[in-house]
Amino acid sequence: MTGKSGPLAEAQKVETEMKTRSKAGQTAVWQARLIMLVMINIAQLWVLAATVDAALAGHYSVLLPLVIASGVCFVITLSIIKWWRPTSRRKTSTGYVREDQ
Amino acid sequence: MTKNLSDESDVRAATEPFQAEFPYERDEEAQVTRREFCNFLGLTSAALFAGAAGFAGKAALDARESESLAAAHIEGAETLAPNSSLNFSYPTERDSAIIVRTADGAYHAYGQKCTHLSCPVYYSRDHQRLECPCHEGAFDAATGNVLYGPPPRALDTIEVETRDGQVWATGRSAKG
Repeated sequence: MTGKSGPLAEAQKVETEMKTRSKAGQTAVWQARLIMLVMINIAQLWVLAATVDAALAGHYSVLLPLVIASGVCFVITLSIIKWWRPTSRRKTSTGYVREDQ
Repeated sequence: MTKNLSDESDVRAATEPFQAEFPYERDEEAQVTRREFCNFLGLTSAALFAGAAGFAGKAALDARESESLAAAHIEGAETLAPNSSLNFSYPTERDSAIIVRTADGAYHAYGQKCTHLSCPVYYSRDHQRLECPCHEGAFDAATGNVLYGPPPRALDTIEVETRDGQVWATGRSAKG
């Protein structure tokens, strides 16, 4: 009876461990994205409430900054959804490389 | 062995012919992926931005319109006795307003909506102030500023002018 041993088995073990770590890392990034998006949404909700309040109270000077703040939040949201994506890394003989999704 | 009749798999097995005609997977239906949730949050963000921009735009438009209000004669204000008031509408028929002639003979006009929850304010001769009957708020008759109560700001001010013995409303503005 021969158990798995040697450099090949060791390499497979390392590969498996790296995949597990990579998966855990990706999950963390996804969670971070979601939390950030939810927080930005809450901030935008507050900005909308402040805008309505200012408009009804006749405080016209603060309307533009509030709309700009809401727009900035929207741009950040877009950037998170569009570009801020989790990536996985794979180890090769030349080091870590990024895998295309 | 007792058979569990409420077992989900049994129900699905029993309704197999119907599943063929109306196929759906309950588990898949209930599941929302992270990507879908992210997209939903993105859409929500866009909607909130559009809402804020739309509301601000409409308020700015209304403010521009109110700057160019036409003057209107306030019928009966000339004969108003000191320490009394008269209701009128300005700038449109739907915008109720109140003109007060204070004890010193000066005219002061305000939008009649309380700035708390839009109840109509009235002039109290005894206390010589504008009062809101709903939540016991009060405003200064000469300035429209809040004296006490829950209103967060002063009443909308209507500018009045006396032209050839007649009292005219010439503009309306909201105070911060």
